[in-house]
Amino acid sequence: MADEFPFEISPMFEGERIRKDGMYAELAGPKSKGFELVRAADMDDVEDGKFTLIGPDISDMEEGSRHPLAMIYKIAGELVEADLESIVERRNHEFQNYIQGFMHLNQRDDVWMRVSKEAVEKGLTSFESVAKAIMMLFKNELPFIEKVEAIYITDMDEIEKEIDNAREVYKARDDRTRDLHDEDVDTFYGCTLCASFAPTNVCVVTPDRISLCGAINWFDGRAAAKVDPEGPQFAIPKGDVIDEESGEYTGVNEAAERLSSGEYDRIKLHSFFEYPHTSCGCFEVVGFYIPEVDGIGWIDRDFAGTAPNGLQFSTMAGQTGGGKQVVGFLGVGVNYFRSPKFIQSDGGWNRVVWMPKMLKDKVLNDIPEDIRDKIATEEDATDVDSLRTFLKEKDHPILERWVEEEEEAPEEEEEAETAPQAQGGFTAPQMMQMPSNMPSMPMMSGGGSGGVKVILKNAKVSIDKVIIKKQD
Amino acid sequence: MSDIETGQFSIDDLENVQITIGKIVGAIEKKAQEEGVEIGPTPKPGISGLRDWDYKLLSRYQPVYTPVCDQCCYCTFGKCDLSGNKEGACGINMEAHQARETLLRVITGAAAHAGHGRHILHHLIDLYGHDKPIDVGPSNLLAPNTQAVTGIRPETLGDLEEVMDYVEEQLTQLLATIHAGQEGAAIDFESKILHGGMLDHVGMEVSDLAQVSCLGMPKSDPEAPLVEIGMGCIDSSKPVLVVIGHNVAGVTNIMDYIHEHDLEDKMELAGLCCTAIDMTRYQTDQGQLPRAKVIGTLAKELKMIRSGVPDVIVVDEQCVRADVLDEAKKLSIPVITTNEKIMYGLPNRSEDKPEDIIEDLSTFKEPGALILDFDVLGEVAPELTLKMSKIRDEIGIKALPTDEELQELSEKCVQCGACELDCPDNLPIMEAMRAGVDNDFSKFEYLHDKCIACGRCDQACPKDIPVLNMIEKASQKLIREEKGFMRSGRGQISDPEIREEGVNLVLGTTPGIIAMVGCSNYPDGTKDLYSVADEMLKRNYIVVMSGCSAMDLGMYKNEDGETLYEKYPSKFLAGNLINVGSCVSNSHITGTAIKVAAIFAQRNVSGNYEEIADYITNRIGAVGVAWGAYSQKAASIASGCNRLGIPVVVGPHGSKYRRALIGKPYKEEDWKVYDARNGSEMPIPASPEFLLTTAESIEELLPMLAKNCIRPSDNSMGRMIKLTHYMELSQKYLGHMPEDWYKFVRTETDLPLAKREELLKMLEKDHGWEIDWKRKKILSGPTMKADVSAQPTNVKRLCKGEC
Repeated sequence: MADEFPFEISPMFEGERIRKDGMYAELAGPKSKGFELVRAADMDDVEDGKFTLIGPDISDMEEGSRHPLAMIYKIAGELVEADLESIVERRNHEFQNYIQGFMHLNQRDDVWMRVSKEAVEKGLTSFESVAKAIMMLFKNELPFIEKVEAIYITDMDEIEKEIDNAREVYKARDDRTRDLHDEDVDTFYGCTLCASFAPTNVCVVTPDRISLCGAINWFDGRAAAKVDPEGPQFAIPKGDVIDEESGEYTGVNEAAERLSSGEYDRIKLHSFFEYPHTSCGCFEVVGFYIPEVDGIGWIDRDFAGTAPNGLQFSTMAGQTGGGKQVVGFLGVGVNYFRSPKFIQSDGGWNRVVWMPKMLKDKVLNDIPEDIRDKIATEEDATDVDSLRTFLKEKDHPILERWVEEEEEAPEEEEEAETAPQAQGGFTAPQMMQMPSNMPSMPMMSGGGSGGVKVILKNAKVSIDKVIIKKQD
Repeated sequence: MSDIETGQFSIDDLENVQITIGKIVGAIEKKAQEEGVEIGPTPKPGISGLRDWDYKLLSRYQPVYTPVCDQCCYCTFGKCDLSGNKEGACGINMEAHQARETLLRVITGAAAHAGHGRHILHHLIDLYGHDKPIDVGPSNLLAPNTQAVTGIRPETLGDLEEVMDYVEEQLTQLLATIHAGQEGAAIDFESKILHGGMLDHVGMEVSDLAQVSCLGMPKSDPEAPLVEIGMGCIDSSKPVLVVIGHNVAGVTNIMDYIHEHDLEDKMELAGLCCTAIDMTRYQTDQGQLPRAKVIGTLAKELKMIRSGVPDVIVVDEQCVRADVLDEAKKLSIPVITTNEKIMYGLPNRSEDKPEDIIEDLSTFKEPGALILDFDVLGEVAPELTLKMSKIRDEIGIKALPTDEELQELSEKCVQCGACELDCPDNLPIMEAMRAGVDNDFSKFEYLHDKCIACGRCDQACPKDIPVLNMIEKASQKLIREEKGFMRSGRGQISDPEIREEGVNLVLGTTPGIIAMVGCSNYPDGTKDLYSVADEMLKRNYIVVMSGCSAMDLGMYKNEDGETLYEKYPSKFLAGNLINVGSCVSNSHITGTAIKVAAIFAQRNVSGNYEEIADYITNRIGAVGVAWGAYSQKAASIASGCNRLGIPVVVGPHGSKYRRALIGKPYKEEDWKVYDARNGSEMPIPASPEFLLTTAESIEELLPMLAKNCIRPSDNSMGRMIKLTHYMELSQKYLGHMPEDWYKFVRTETDLPLAKREELLKMLEKDHGWEIDWKRKKILSGPTMKADVSAQPTNVKRLCKGEC
């Protein structure tokens, strides 16, 4: 199998590490220079399968030596476009690691490769075989690539000449990614990859909303949909804008209805409280409403402690998921914090009151500066009272929402004191102020000693055991 | 009043009704109720409760019996010859009797765990009270097996009692059916086997939940410490206390005593079998170091005793050799039994003063004692060890033959072959004896690694040659080097870990989960386990260990001197190696599968076993390997996996279970399920191909593992990776492409990436598939289509519009 290559190609070699003593040559890396770059080109400008090497080949290198390496791939095809370059480029990392005895770390102009002694002994003596394997894999995985050619450079002067150009391309791409927003495109992408485990989940991926698992962005969706329009990632025409602020589109709603077999007919992409996006299971962070302060907290998988409401990540994550639309809890990928449309329908960052310190530090630069210090972490607030105090001290914008409540507060307290007598009927429970559109939320804190009014309608009462005793 | 019945009823009018709420459920339960999460259709199922599900499984995976014995000797009507389709005196036929034998084995195993669970639960409730909360780490679903089976969501130790009540009641019902004149149909014995296996996982779960919550064991801890393991890690110059068994309850008192009296540096505390694992878990949940060492599995019991190194032996229950007392007596080692399941005819000294017991045992007035009071035990065992160490030094215990004697014993051998015939692995003992005559004992060293130390050779020898002692003596150098590391048992896999791993499972980066469980009954010792685990870990499978396998894996080192526990990280992530813990921790492996259904598909778990099992069968690529399965417990654990649709491969000795559950890949009608979206039928690949089968070698096993991780719901990325490993492993270990690879291909994107073009050519040439070469697309050929949104289910009622 695959006998044309002097090495094995398999995903099993992905985790292979080549240490110093097993290394034949080190390429690029922190002590040298190099980069990887994929460029879309016209059909006529690409000679399929061609390989050009500028500089010495592996066989010319001494054992244990270090060399610069740049890898440029030119791709062409009817469906190839510049927006797909980064997707293909990222595969270079994965595929080079498939090669036994070849290690690839990092990306872009940080790349760092090693070839093992063993591989060289077995015949990996030329970059040509590496480049040919990568080109073959590119075409197999992404058949929209009709032609591909590779240029590898191991000559330092030559690399110096090209590297600035490459950096400009990266920058332009980053600018494009950053400046590309929901309003700039007419197509979103749906992803049902996780339907194999979460059968009813549909992820809508837009320029401003990465998939919940964090693995698929809009560009990935676009590339995959080109490869196989009927595959697990597919285009969702955006349709008409119903509400730009909350991110509601006719196309998304139609897709939601169709894909959930009618279970949901509305999804607002940037909303927490109204028709939020469904959650799968692998979301990295779960957001939760804290009714006592009318704010939203976020807690991530790696945080083992409890949020101010006394609950852990796993407990709250358990409230949502499985492709269900659950108001009050929202699973997201960490990258969604970087979206300029981050829950913008509900006040965006101004509504955020708490997150674990590690998570906050991770996204610190994406938090608007004026609110950065006003979001509490576990170091500032461990329960609702200390959270309230912290928010007051810091004059968090959420305070503006409290005005109404505070006026009512004294009355509530009185009620709480007189609550316990249940005389015939039941007194109303002491409930928090909630937005009117919220379905009932779980009571987070105990403490309330009031009675409960129970209304039985279409109820089933199941009794484990009935003990009949003679009355005295 | 007699009108009141159990069940559902309506009340027309409520007037002046007072409803008393005895217990306030927490926020989550309230929300769950509000959201309409209810108890599924089968809380606490009886024997027939899940029979329909069993029949579905058994119609695809039909039982195959290979009786070792054609007779039934159960009653005095017999014994009855059942060969040649004859019925016995009671009317039972061969099939039914074989299934009945397996059922007996399974419920024996389940009872061992459940008995253990009840014992330790009782003990811990005594110490910590009914209200002690269950605390097993950051999880929502604390007791997945328990909840799926019984519908009970336990929160405290007290809640677990009702769970045990259910398990015990069901085990009694199952045991009753073994009696003559009960069940007559093999298929219903089979369903009962699956029922027993399911109960086993509940019993195991209760045991581990209780001990993890109370005994400071790691709580879903990926960083659980590394523990020293092996006969070579025992410092025999110190007084040595050896503990054997599975139930750590009483042992913790010994450990506390040693700790409180600063004896840790003055003596060695080491364990054999699962008690050893649980000793190293005790009080380590705050990052403390383990306070005991692990010697190894059942296969090291006799070797350890015969070495004469232990100064005192304490046994509790399960997998303890029946001859421990006799063997120990010969070497002046007092034995303390601590559990009603094993008492060895020793006097009950539970009420006596520790100093009196120590006096009697150290003067050999009694060879041992039964001590059921753990406070007394806690003091007696270590103090006696200190005392015995001196006494035994003074007496000068000679345990093993000298070098000269080795040669003489070799000469005594008449090469009759009785030992080899009796050896479970037919090891070449005579050859070693022949070489021994010429003072070459290297061949005994070879035997040492393969030998499971059952001692049958000794029994068989007409010349009374102590074969096992000779092997041990000749291998002293090897034994001194028998040192490794095992990761201490981490307990459950937590919800956050499962969520984190979700992406890998979905994207196929984790091609599957391989659970290597069971006992140490294998011909090639630890190396097989190492080779299988290493190969699968390199391929990014998650490898989960437990019990004896977990120990043996830590005994083998690679050329860098590393065990796999040191080489691979231990999170629930692609390419990670996990040890869940002791035998009862096996429930966490099935528990993880149940959690996946709860987390990713938000399936209701409570009393909803069938739906959960259906989800697992169709979606979760997990395979169990019990390479050295020997015990009844191994049979029950496997059966519990089977009812959830998780296939299990047993090693060469596993064929002695005389039963397999094997599908017929060539029978197309067996491989169809419903698409839950509309109830239509859809074809699925023949995987898993079996629920229970045997592999004769690891070369056969490895491709089998990769293949049987394939599931109907795989998306293309997942299928591609799984197929890649299946094909690569088949080529690597069997030297050829698997014959059936193309049957798993639904679309070109399912094909291994590096060989896509080549494989397309083969599909066109060898199988007549139509290929669009420009787009490299398959136009026709596959019998099923790739539709990631399809929702495969075996259960019609779960389809849309069915209920």
